[in-house]
Amino acid sequence: MKVLSLYQERDTIIHKVDPISKILYIIISIAIPIIMPYKTIGLVCMGVSIVLLLIAKVFKKVIPLVSFSMIILLSIIIIQGLFNDSNKTAAFRIGSIVFYKEGLLFALEICIRVINILCAFAILVLTTKPSDLIESLVRRGLSPKIGYVLSSVLQIIPQMSSTMATITDAQRSRGMETEGKLKVRIKAFVPLIGPVVMNSLINTRERAMALEVRAFNSKANKTYLNEEQNNSYNKAIKLILVILFIFVVAWRILI
Amino acid sequence: MKKIIVENLKYKYPLTDELALKGISFDVEKGEFIGIVGKNLSGKSTLCQALVGLVPHFYKGGYGGKVIVDGLEVSKSEISELSQKVGIVFQNPFTQVTSCKLTVYEEIAFGLENMGISREEMRKRIDDSLKLLDIYKFKDRNPFDLSGGQMQRMAIASIIAMRPEIIVLDEPTSQLDPKGSEEVFKAIQNLSKKGMTVIMVEHKMEKIAKYSDRVMILNDGEIVDFDIPQKIFSRGDLDKYCVSAPAFTKICKGLGIKSKATGLYPITIDEAYDLVVNYNE
Repeated sequence: MKVLSLYQERDTIIHKVDPISKILYIIISIAIPIIMPYKTIGLVCMGVSIVLLLIAKVFKKVIPLVSFSMIILLSIIIIQGLFNDSNKTAAFRIGSIVFYKEGLLFALEICIRVINILCAFAILVLTTKPSDLIESLVRRGLSPKIGYVLSSVLQIIPQMSSTMATITDAQRSRGMETEGKLKVRIKAFVPLIGPVVMNSLINTRERAMALEVRAFNSKANKTYLNEEQNNSYNKAIKLILVILFIFVVAWRILI
Repeated sequence: MKKIIVENLKYKYPLTDELALKGISFDVEKGEFIGIVGKNLSGKSTLCQALVGLVPHFYKGGYGGKVIVDGLEVSKSEISELSQKVGIVFQNPFTQVTSCKLTVYEEIAFGLENMGISREEMRKRIDDSLKLLDIYKFKDRNPFDLSGGQMQRMAIASIIAMRPEIIVLDEPTSQLDPKGSEEVFKAIQNLSKKGMTVIMVEHKMEKIAKYSDRVMILNDGEIVDFDIPQKIFSRGDLDKYCVSAPAFTKICKGLGIKSKATGLYPITIDEAYDLVVNYNE
Protein backbone atom coordinates (compact mmCIF):
# COMPACT_ATOMS: atom_id res chain seq x y z
CA MET A 1 0.00 0.00 0.00
CA LYS A 2 1.41 3.33 -1.05
CA VAL A 3 1.43 6.04 1.56
CA LEU A 4 2.07 9.60 0.63
CA SER A 5 5.25 10.21 2.59
CA LEU A 6 8.99 10.54 2.21
CA TYR A 7 9.66 8.63 5.43
CA GLN A 8 12.58 6.22 5.22
CA GLU A 9 12.49 3.20 7.50
CA ARG A 10 15.91 2.88 9.18
CA ASP A 11 17.04 1.93 12.62
CA THR A 12 19.26 4.80 13.68
CA ILE A 13 19.62 7.07 16.66
CA ILE A 14 18.11 9.99 14.71
CA HIS A 15 14.92 8.02 14.03
CA LYS A 16 14.46 7.58 17.77
CA VAL A 17 14.49 11.31 18.53
CA ASP A 18 10.98 12.60 19.11
CA PRO A 19 9.35 14.79 16.41
CA ILE A 20 9.06 17.84 18.64
CA SER A 21 12.84 17.93 19.17
CA LYS A 22 13.26 17.78 15.41
CA ILE A 23 10.85 20.68 14.91
CA LEU A 24 12.75 22.63 17.54
CA TYR A 25 15.96 21.80 15.70
CA ILE A 26 14.50 23.17 12.44
CA ILE A 27 13.48 26.42 14.06
CA ILE A 28 16.80 26.93 15.79
CA SER A 29 19.00 25.95 12.87
CA ILE A 30 17.13 28.42 10.69
CA ALA A 31 17.14 31.15 13.32
CA ILE A 32 20.83 30.97 14.25
CA PRO A 33 22.26 31.98 10.83
CA ILE A 34 19.76 34.84 10.73
CA ILE A 35 20.69 36.07 14.19
CA MET A 36 24.42 35.63 13.55
CA PRO A 37 24.83 36.66 9.93
CA TYR A 38 28.25 35.14 9.28
CA LYS A 39 28.89 32.66 6.52
CA THR A 40 30.90 30.43 8.83
CA ILE A 41 27.95 30.06 11.23
CA GLY A 42 25.67 29.25 8.29
CA LEU A 43 28.19 26.69 7.08
CA VAL A 44 28.43 25.15 10.55
CA CYS A 45 24.63 24.81 10.80
CA MET A 46 24.50 23.28 7.33
CA GLY A 47 27.36 20.96 8.23
CA VAL A 48 25.60 19.80 11.42
CA SER A 49 22.40 19.05 9.46
CA ILE A 50 24.35 17.09 6.86
CA VAL A 51 26.18 15.09 9.55
CA LEU A 52 22.82 14.29 11.18
CA LEU A 53 21.44 13.16 7.82
CA LEU A 54 24.51 10.96 7.31
CA ILE A 55 24.03 9.40 10.77
CA ALA A 56 20.38 8.75 9.88
CA LYS A 57 21.56 7.07 6.64
CA VAL A 58 19.19 9.14 4.52
CA PHE A 59 21.66 11.54 2.90
CA LYS A 60 21.14 9.98 -0.53
CA LYS A 61 17.46 10.98 -0.40
CA VAL A 62 18.39 14.62 0.23
CA ILE A 63 20.42 14.94 -2.96
CA PRO A 64 17.37 14.98 -5.29
CA LEU A 65 15.70 17.55 -3.02
CA VAL A 66 18.74 19.82 -3.10
CA SER A 67 19.37 19.37 -6.81
CA PHE A 68 15.76 20.32 -7.48
CA SER A 69 16.31 23.63 -5.72
CA MET A 70 19.58 24.07 -7.65
CA ILE A 71 17.65 25.56 -10.56
CA ILE A 72 16.49 28.42 -8.35
CA LEU A 73 19.84 28.76 -6.62
CA LEU A 74 21.67 28.98 -9.96
CA SER A 75 19.41 31.78 -11.10
CA ILE A 76 20.06 33.60 -7.82
CA ILE A 77 23.82 33.24 -8.33
CA ILE A 78 23.61 34.57 -11.89
CA ILE A 79 21.34 37.50 -11.12
CA GLN A 80 23.13 38.57 -7.94
CA GLY A 81 26.54 38.08 -9.56
CA LEU A 82 25.60 40.29 -12.47
CA PHE A 83 23.24 42.90 -11.08
CA ASN A 84 23.65 43.27 -7.29
CA ASP A 85 23.54 46.94 -6.15
CA SER A 86 26.88 46.86 -4.37
CA ASN A 87 28.78 45.18 -7.21
CA LYS A 88 32.20 46.84 -7.54
CA THR A 89 35.07 44.38 -7.81
CA ALA A 90 34.99 42.06 -10.77
CA ALA A 91 35.55 38.41 -9.84
CA PHE A 92 35.74 36.75 -13.25
CA ARG A 93 34.33 37.15 -16.72
CA ILE A 94 32.80 34.76 -19.22
CA GLY A 95 33.11 36.37 -22.63
CA SER A 96 31.80 39.87 -22.20
CA ILE A 97 29.74 39.04 -19.08
CA VAL A 98 31.31 40.17 -15.81
CA PHE A 99 30.53 38.52 -12.47
CA TYR A 100 31.14 40.66 -9.37
CA LYS A 101 32.53 39.50 -6.04
CA GLU A 102 30.01 41.28 -3.78
CA GLY A 103 27.01 39.84 -5.58
CA LEU A 104 28.49 36.35 -5.64
CA LEU A 105 29.18 36.45 -1.89
CA PHE A 106 25.62 37.59 -1.25
CA ALA A 107 24.33 34.79 -3.44
CA LEU A 108 26.53 32.30 -1.58
CA GLU A 109 24.97 33.38 1.71
CA ILE A 110 21.47 32.85 0.33
CA CYS A 111 22.47 29.43 -1.04
CA ILE A 112 23.87 28.34 2.31
CA ARG A 113 20.66 29.39 4.04
CA VAL A 114 18.42 27.65 1.53
CA ILE A 115 20.39 24.40 1.69
CA ASN A 116 20.47 24.69 5.46
CA ILE A 117 16.66 25.02 5.60
CA LEU A 118 16.24 22.11 3.18
CA CYS A 119 18.53 19.84 5.17
CA ALA A 120 16.92 20.76 8.48
CA PHE A 121 13.45 19.96 7.13
CA ALA A 122 14.78 16.80 5.49
CA ILE A 123 15.81 15.51 8.91
CA LEU A 124 12.21 15.82 10.08
CA VAL A 125 10.54 14.58 6.92
CA LEU A 126 12.82 11.66 6.13
CA THR A 127 13.25 10.25 9.62
CA THR A 128 9.81 10.75 11.16
CA LYS A 129 6.66 8.80 10.41
CA PRO A 130 3.94 11.34 9.52
CA SER A 131 1.58 9.61 11.94
CA ASP A 132 4.08 9.99 14.81
CA LEU A 133 4.57 13.64 14.03
CA ILE A 134 0.83 14.32 13.96
CA GLU A 135 0.25 12.31 17.10
CA SER A 136 2.86 14.26 19.02
CA LEU A 137 1.32 17.52 17.82
CA VAL A 138 -2.14 16.34 18.94
CA ARG A 139 -0.66 15.46 22.33
CA ARG A 140 0.55 19.05 22.57
CA GLY A 141 -2.88 20.50 21.94
CA LEU A 142 -3.46 20.37 18.19
CA SER A 143 -7.15 19.66 17.62
CA PRO A 144 -7.65 15.91 16.97
CA LYS A 145 -9.90 16.86 14.06
CA ILE A 146 -7.13 18.73 12.27
CA GLY A 147 -4.75 15.90 13.15
CA TYR A 148 -7.17 13.43 11.61
CA VAL A 149 -7.48 15.47 8.41
CA LEU A 150 -3.70 15.70 8.06
CA SER A 151 -3.04 12.02 8.58
CA SER A 152 -6.01 10.71 6.60
CA VAL A 153 -5.09 12.77 3.55
CA LEU A 154 -1.83 10.85 3.33
CA GLN A 155 -3.75 7.60 2.94
CA ILE A 156 -6.88 8.78 1.14
CA ILE A 157 -5.05 10.34 -1.81
CA PRO A 158 -3.37 7.05 -2.83
CA GLN A 159 -6.77 5.39 -2.25
CA MET A 160 -8.42 7.84 -4.62
CA SER A 161 -5.79 7.31 -7.29
CA SER A 162 -6.37 3.56 -7.12
CA THR A 163 -10.14 4.17 -7.39
CA MET A 164 -9.36 6.30 -10.42
CA ALA A 165 -7.38 3.43 -11.96
CA THR A 166 -10.30 1.02 -11.35
CA ILE A 167 -12.77 3.41 -12.93
CA THR A 168 -10.48 3.99 -15.90
CA ASP A 169 -10.31 0.23 -16.46
CA ALA A 170 -14.08 -0.10 -16.10
CA GLN A 171 -14.76 2.68 -18.61
CA ARG A 172 -12.19 1.27 -21.01
CA SER A 173 -13.77 -2.15 -20.88
CA ARG A 174 -16.99 -0.49 -22.03
CA GLY A 175 -15.18 0.85 -25.06
CA MET A 176 -14.22 4.33 -24.01
CA GLU A 177 -10.98 5.61 -25.46
CA THR A 178 -8.76 7.11 -22.82
CA GLU A 179 -5.50 7.29 -24.71
CA GLY A 180 -4.37 9.03 -27.85
CA LYS A 181 -4.80 12.61 -28.97
CA LEU A 182 -5.42 15.48 -26.59
CA LYS A 183 -9.00 15.84 -27.82
CA VAL A 184 -9.75 12.19 -27.01
CA ARG A 185 -8.23 12.55 -23.57
CA ILE A 186 -10.24 15.68 -22.78
CA LYS A 187 -13.41 13.92 -23.88
CA ALA A 188 -12.57 10.98 -21.62
CA PHE A 189 -11.91 13.20 -18.63
CA VAL A 190 -15.50 13.95 -17.58
CA PRO A 191 -16.80 10.35 -17.45
CA LEU A 192 -13.69 9.44 -15.48
CA ILE A 193 -13.60 12.22 -12.93
CA GLY A 194 -17.39 12.22 -12.31
CA PRO A 195 -17.55 8.80 -10.66
CA VAL A 196 -14.36 9.45 -8.68
CA VAL A 197 -15.81 12.61 -7.15
CA MET A 198 -19.23 11.06 -6.47
CA ASN A 199 -17.60 7.99 -5.01
CA SER A 200 -15.44 10.07 -2.68
CA LEU A 201 -18.42 12.11 -1.52
CA ILE A 202 -20.39 8.98 -0.64
CA ASN A 203 -17.36 7.43 1.04
CA THR A 204 -16.81 10.57 3.05
CA ARG A 205 -20.33 10.46 4.43
CA GLU A 206 -20.02 6.81 5.39
CA ARG A 207 -16.60 7.37 6.90
CA ALA A 208 -17.93 10.29 8.92
CA MET A 209 -20.58 7.98 10.38
CA ALA A 210 -18.00 5.31 11.12
CA LEU A 211 -15.89 7.86 12.98
CA GLU A 212 -18.90 9.16 14.92
CA VAL A 213 -19.76 5.72 16.24
CA ARG A 214 -16.18 5.23 17.31
CA ALA A 215 -16.52 8.11 19.74
CA PHE A 216 -14.51 10.54 17.63
CA ASN A 217 -16.37 13.47 19.17
CA SER A 218 -16.07 12.13 22.67
CA LYS A 219 -15.31 14.67 25.36
CA ALA A 220 -13.29 12.20 27.40
CA ASN A 221 -9.57 12.85 27.69
CA LYS A 222 -7.91 11.13 24.78
CA THR A 223 -5.38 8.41 25.54
CA TYR A 224 -2.74 7.00 23.20
CA LEU A 225 -1.81 3.47 22.28
CA ASN A 226 1.82 4.35 21.64
CA GLU A 227 3.93 5.60 24.48
CA GLU A 228 5.42 9.01 23.97
CA GLN A 229 9.16 8.96 23.28
CA ASN A 230 9.86 11.47 25.98
CA ASN A 231 12.79 9.97 27.80
CA SER A 232 15.58 11.92 29.45
CA TYR A 233 17.61 11.67 26.24
CA ASN A 234 14.99 13.58 24.29
CA LYS A 235 14.61 16.10 27.08
CA ALA A 236 18.36 16.68 27.04
CA ILE A 237 18.31 17.36 23.30
CA LYS A 238 15.59 19.96 23.72
CA LEU A 239 17.37 21.56 26.65
CA ILE A 240 20.67 21.80 24.75
CA LEU A 241 18.91 23.33 21.74
CA VAL A 242 17.16 25.93 23.87
CA ILE A 243 20.34 26.82 25.79
CA LEU A 244 22.21 27.17 22.52
CA PHE A 245 19.52 29.48 21.22
CA ILE A 246 19.54 31.66 24.34
CA PHE A 247 23.31 31.82 24.17
CA VAL A 248 23.21 32.98 20.55
CA VAL A 249 20.60 35.64 21.28
CA ALA A 250 22.53 36.86 24.32
CA TRP A 251 25.73 37.01 22.30
CA ARG A 252 23.99 39.04 19.65
CA ILE A 253 22.58 41.55 22.16
CA LEU A 254 25.85 41.95 24.07
CA ILE A 255 28.23 42.23 21.15
CA MET B 1 -34.24 -6.25 32.03
CA LYS B 2 -35.12 -4.37 28.87
CA LYS B 3 -32.06 -3.13 26.96
CA ILE B 4 -33.81 -1.45 24.07
CA ILE B 5 -37.24 0.12 24.14
CA VAL B 6 -38.62 1.61 20.94
CA GLU B 7 -41.94 3.41 21.19
CA ASN B 8 -43.83 4.50 18.11
CA LEU B 9 -40.66 5.53 16.26
CA LYS B 10 -41.31 7.62 13.17
CA TYR B 11 -38.60 9.05 10.99
CA LYS B 12 -38.36 10.96 7.74
CA TYR B 13 -35.07 11.68 5.97
CA PRO B 14 -34.51 15.32 5.03
CA LEU B 15 -35.70 16.24 1.50
CA THR B 16 -38.01 13.23 1.25
CA ASP B 17 -41.80 13.08 1.53
CA GLU B 18 -42.31 9.55 2.74
CA LEU B 19 -41.63 8.24 6.21
CA ALA B 20 -38.75 5.77 6.32
CA LEU B 21 -40.00 4.37 9.63
CA LYS B 22 -43.75 4.48 10.23
CA GLY B 23 -44.38 4.09 13.91
CA ILE B 24 -42.27 1.19 15.10
CA SER B 25 -42.56 -0.21 18.62
CA PHE B 26 -40.74 -3.16 20.16
CA ASP B 27 -38.41 -4.01 22.98
CA VAL B 28 -35.41 -6.24 23.41
CA GLU B 29 -34.16 -8.02 26.52
CA LYS B 30 -30.55 -8.11 27.62
CA GLY B 31 -28.50 -10.81 25.87
CA GLU B 32 -31.02 -11.48 23.12
CA PHE B 33 -29.88 -12.17 19.55
CA ILE B 34 -32.31 -10.40 17.22
CA GLY B 35 -32.36 -10.91 13.45
CA ILE B 36 -33.91 -8.26 11.21
CA VAL B 37 -35.02 -9.31 7.73
CA GLY B 38 -36.92 -7.61 4.95
CA LYS B 39 -36.55 -6.44 1.39
CA ASN B 40 -34.32 -3.58 0.28
CA LEU B 41 -35.49 -0.11 1.35
CA SER B 42 -37.76 -1.56 4.02
CA GLY B 43 -36.05 0.55 6.70
CA LYS B 44 -33.64 -1.99 8.17
CA SER B 45 -30.57 0.23 8.02
CA THR B 46 -32.53 3.26 9.18
CA LEU B 47 -33.74 1.31 12.20
CA CYS B 48 -30.16 0.22 12.98
CA GLN B 49 -28.95 3.78 12.77
CA ALA B 50 -31.80 4.96 14.96
CA LEU B 51 -30.51 2.69 17.73
CA VAL B 52 -27.05 4.28 17.75
CA GLY B 53 -28.19 7.89 17.34
CA LEU B 54 -27.05 8.50 13.76
CA VAL B 55 -30.76 8.92 13.18
CA PRO B 56 -31.58 11.72 13.99
CA HIS B 57 -28.30 13.38 15.09
CA PHE B 58 -26.24 12.75 11.96
CA TYR B 59 -28.92 13.03 9.29
CA LYS B 60 -31.32 15.45 11.04
CA GLY B 61 -34.76 15.12 9.42
CA GLY B 62 -38.18 14.57 11.01
CA TYR B 63 -38.24 12.41 14.14
CA GLY B 64 -41.06 11.20 16.33
CA GLY B 65 -41.45 8.72 19.14
CA LYS B 66 -38.86 7.46 21.55
CA VAL B 67 -35.87 5.14 21.53
CA ILE B 68 -34.38 4.23 24.89
CA VAL B 69 -31.13 2.30 24.80
CA ASP B 70 -29.79 1.04 28.12
CA GLY B 71 -31.57 3.84 29.95
CA LEU B 72 -30.43 6.61 27.61
CA GLU B 73 -32.95 8.38 25.43
CA VAL B 74 -31.33 8.49 21.98
CA SER B 75 -32.79 11.78 20.78
CA LYS B 76 -31.46 13.57 23.87
CA SER B 77 -27.99 12.00 24.02
CA GLU B 78 -24.89 12.55 21.98
CA ILE B 79 -23.55 9.97 19.55
CA SER B 80 -20.21 9.79 21.36
CA GLU B 81 -22.02 9.03 24.61
CA LEU B 82 -24.22 6.42 22.96
CA SER B 83 -21.27 4.83 21.17
CA GLN B 84 -19.99 3.48 24.48
CA LYS B 85 -23.25 1.60 24.99
CA VAL B 86 -24.12 0.61 21.45
CA GLY B 87 -21.69 -0.27 18.68
CA ILE B 88 -22.62 -0.48 15.02
CA VAL B 89 -20.88 -2.25 12.14
CA PHE B 90 -21.88 -1.06 8.66
CA GLN B 91 -22.14 -2.94 5.36
CA ASN B 92 -19.17 -1.45 3.55
CA PRO B 93 -15.92 -2.37 5.29
CA PHE B 94 -13.81 0.01 3.17
CA THR B 95 -15.42 3.15 4.49
CA GLN B 96 -15.14 1.98 8.06
CA VAL B 97 -11.38 2.15 7.98
CA THR B 98 -10.49 5.38 9.73
CA SER B 99 -7.60 5.89 7.27
CA CYS B 100 -5.48 7.73 9.79
CA LYS B 101 -3.79 4.63 11.20
CA LEU B 102 -1.06 2.61 9.58
CA THR B 103 -1.60 -0.82 11.13
CA VAL B 104 -4.59 -2.99 11.97
CA TYR B 105 -3.58 -2.88 15.63
CA GLU B 106 -3.63 0.93 15.74
CA GLU B 107 -6.82 0.99 13.69
CA ILE B 108 -8.62 -0.98 16.38
CA ALA B 109 -7.15 1.29 19.03
CA PHE B 110 -8.79 4.34 17.42
CA GLY B 111 -12.12 4.10 19.25
CA LEU B 112 -10.43 3.20 22.53
CA GLU B 113 -8.11 6.20 22.31
CA ASN B 114 -11.11 8.46 21.85
CA MET B 115 -12.85 6.89 24.84
CA GLY B 116 -9.80 7.49 27.01
CA ILE B 117 -9.05 3.88 27.93
CA SER B 118 -5.72 3.25 29.69
CA ARG B 119 -2.89 1.73 27.66
CA GLU B 120 -2.76 -1.68 29.38
CA GLU B 121 -6.52 -2.12 29.14
CA MET B 122 -6.37 -1.03 25.50
CA ARG B 123 -3.76 -3.67 24.60
CA LYS B 124 -5.74 -6.37 26.36
CA ARG B 125 -8.96 -5.48 24.58
CA ILE B 126 -7.32 -5.21 21.17
CA ASP B 127 -5.62 -8.59 21.54
CA ASP B 128 -8.91 -10.16 22.67
CA SER B 129 -10.94 -8.81 19.79
CA LEU B 130 -8.27 -9.61 17.18
CA LYS B 131 -8.15 -13.20 18.41
CA LEU B 132 -11.92 -13.47 18.61
CA LEU B 133 -12.22 -12.61 14.92
CA ASP B 134 -9.12 -14.58 13.97
CA ILE B 135 -7.18 -11.67 12.46
CA TYR B 136 -4.40 -11.52 15.06
CA LYS B 137 -1.89 -12.59 12.42
CA PHE B 138 -2.61 -9.46 10.37
CA LYS B 139 -2.12 -7.03 13.25
CA ASP B 140 0.89 -5.27 11.69
CA ARG B 141 -0.53 -4.93 8.18
CA ASN B 142 -1.83 -1.72 6.70
CA PRO B 143 -5.65 -1.74 7.00
CA PHE B 144 -6.05 -1.00 3.30
CA ASP B 145 -3.94 -4.01 2.34
CA LEU B 146 -6.49 -6.44 3.77
CA SER B 147 -8.99 -8.31 1.63
CA GLY B 148 -12.68 -7.41 1.84
CA GLY B 149 -13.40 -10.23 4.26
CA GLN B 150 -10.46 -9.45 6.51
CA MET B 151 -11.43 -5.79 6.51
CA GLN B 152 -14.96 -6.73 7.51
CA ARG B 153 -13.63 -8.73 10.44
CA MET B 154 -11.46 -5.79 11.40
CA ALA B 155 -14.51 -3.51 11.34
CA ILE B 156 -16.31 -5.89 13.70
CA ALA B 157 -13.23 -6.26 15.90
CA SER B 158 -12.82 -2.51 16.22
CA ILE B 159 -16.37 -2.19 17.53
CA ILE B 160 -16.12 -5.22 19.81
CA ALA B 161 -12.93 -3.80 21.35
CA MET B 162 -15.01 -0.86 22.57
CA ARG B 163 -17.01 -3.40 24.63
CA PRO B 164 -20.48 -2.00 23.99
CA GLU B 165 -23.37 -3.70 25.76
CA ILE B 166 -25.34 -3.78 22.55
CA ILE B 167 -23.93 -4.43 19.10
CA VAL B 168 -25.81 -3.62 15.90
CA LEU B 169 -24.57 -5.35 12.76
CA ASP B 170 -25.83 -4.22 9.37
CA GLU B 171 -25.04 -7.08 6.96
CA PRO B 172 -21.68 -7.75 8.55
CA THR B 173 -20.81 -10.79 6.47
CA SER B 174 -21.55 -9.52 2.95
CA GLN B 175 -17.89 -9.86 1.90
CA LEU B 176 -17.15 -13.11 3.68
CA ASP B 177 -17.04 -16.62 2.25
CA PRO B 178 -19.35 -19.25 3.81
CA LYS B 179 -16.67 -20.49 6.21
CA GLY B 180 -15.76 -16.94 7.21
CA SER B 181 -19.34 -15.90 7.84
CA GLU B 182 -19.97 -19.02 9.92
CA GLU B 183 -16.95 -18.12 12.06
CA VAL B 184 -18.14 -14.55 12.48
CA PHE B 185 -21.62 -15.75 13.45
CA LYS B 186 -20.13 -18.13 16.01
CA ALA B 187 -17.97 -15.34 17.47
CA ILE B 188 -21.00 -13.09 17.75
CA GLN B 189 -23.10 -15.85 19.27
CA ASN B 190 -20.38 -16.27 21.91
CA LEU B 191 -20.61 -12.61 22.78
CA SER B 192 -24.37 -12.90 22.90
CA LYS B 193 -24.09 -15.80 25.35
CA LYS B 194 -21.83 -13.65 27.52
CA GLY B 195 -24.68 -11.15 27.80
CA MET B 196 -24.12 -8.81 24.86
CA THR B 197 -27.34 -7.86 23.11
CA VAL B 198 -27.06 -8.40 19.35
CA ILE B 199 -29.17 -6.83 16.60
CA MET B 200 -28.31 -8.16 13.16
CA VAL B 201 -29.56 -7.36 9.69
CA GLU B 202 -28.76 -10.21 7.34
CA HIS B 203 -29.98 -11.77 4.13
CA LYS B 204 -28.55 -15.22 4.85
CA MET B 205 -31.73 -16.80 6.22
CA GLU B 206 -30.14 -20.11 7.24
CA LYS B 207 -27.82 -18.18 9.54
CA ILE B 208 -30.57 -15.96 10.93
CA ALA B 209 -32.74 -19.03 11.59
CA LYS B 210 -29.91 -20.84 13.33
CA TYR B 211 -28.59 -18.07 15.57
CA SER B 212 -31.43 -15.65 16.32
CA ASP B 213 -33.60 -15.78 19.41
CA ARG B 214 -36.22 -13.64 17.70
CA VAL B 215 -36.66 -12.41 14.14
CA MET B 216 -38.25 -9.17 12.97
CA ILE B 217 -39.74 -8.77 9.50
CA LEU B 218 -39.74 -5.18 8.31
CA ASN B 219 -41.73 -4.02 5.32
CA ASP B 220 -42.08 -0.42 4.11
CA GLY B 221 -41.04 1.00 7.45
CA GLU B 222 -43.41 -1.12 9.51
CA ILE B 223 -42.98 -4.24 11.61
CA VAL B 224 -44.85 -7.15 10.03
CA ASP B 225 -43.97 -9.65 12.68
CA PHE B 226 -41.52 -10.04 15.54
CA ASP B 227 -41.34 -13.53 16.97
CA ILE B 228 -39.27 -16.68 17.37
CA PRO B 229 -37.72 -17.82 14.06
CA GLN B 230 -39.83 -21.01 13.86
CA LYS B 231 -43.03 -18.98 13.84
CA ILE B 232 -41.65 -16.36 11.46
CA PHE B 233 -40.46 -18.84 8.86
CA SER B 234 -43.61 -20.95 9.11
CA ARG B 235 -45.69 -18.01 7.88
CA GLY B 236 -47.33 -18.58 4.53
CA ASP B 237 -46.96 -15.01 3.26
CA LEU B 238 -43.18 -14.61 3.37
CA ASP B 239 -42.97 -14.04 -0.39
CA LYS B 240 -45.05 -10.90 -0.01
CA TYR B 241 -42.22 -9.36 2.02
CA CYS B 242 -39.47 -10.74 -0.23
CA VAL B 243 -38.21 -12.96 2.58
CA SER B 244 -37.37 -16.53 1.74
CA ALA B 245 -37.42 -19.20 4.43
CA PRO B 246 -34.31 -21.35 4.96
CA ALA B 247 -33.95 -24.19 2.45
CA PHE B 248 -34.78 -26.82 5.08
CA THR B 249 -38.02 -25.05 5.96
CA LYS B 250 -39.01 -24.81 2.30
CA ILE B 251 -38.41 -28.52 1.72
CA CYS B 252 -40.43 -29.48 4.79
CA LYS B 253 -43.20 -27.06 3.78
CA GLY B 254 -43.31 -28.77 0.40
CA LEU B 255 -43.48 -32.17 2.01
CA GLY B 256 -45.86 -31.02 4.74
CA ILE B 257 -43.53 -32.06 7.56
CA LYS B 258 -44.39 -30.15 10.72
CA SER B 259 -43.35 -30.55 14.30
CA LYS B 260 -46.25 -32.26 16.06
CA ALA B 261 -45.62 -30.45 19.34
CA THR B 262 -45.74 -26.91 18.00
CA GLY B 263 -47.34 -27.23 14.58
CA LEU B 264 -44.42 -25.25 13.08
CA TYR B 265 -41.97 -26.10 10.32
CA PRO B 266 -38.33 -26.84 11.20
CA ILE B 267 -35.79 -24.09 10.50
CA THR B 268 -32.39 -25.71 10.89
CA ILE B 269 -30.90 -28.79 9.32
CA ASP B 270 -30.84 -30.63 12.65
CA GLU B 271 -34.51 -30.00 13.35
CA ALA B 272 -35.39 -30.96 9.79
CA TYR B 273 -33.34 -34.16 10.06
CA ASP B 274 -35.03 -35.19 13.29
CA LEU B 275 -38.50 -34.59 11.86
CA VAL B 276 -37.80 -36.38 8.59
CA VAL B 277 -36.42 -39.40 10.44
CA ASN B 278 -39.47 -39.44 12.75
CA TYR B 279 -41.81 -38.94 9.81
CA ASN B 280 -40.47 -41.97 8.00
CA GLU B 281 -40.54 -44.25 10.99
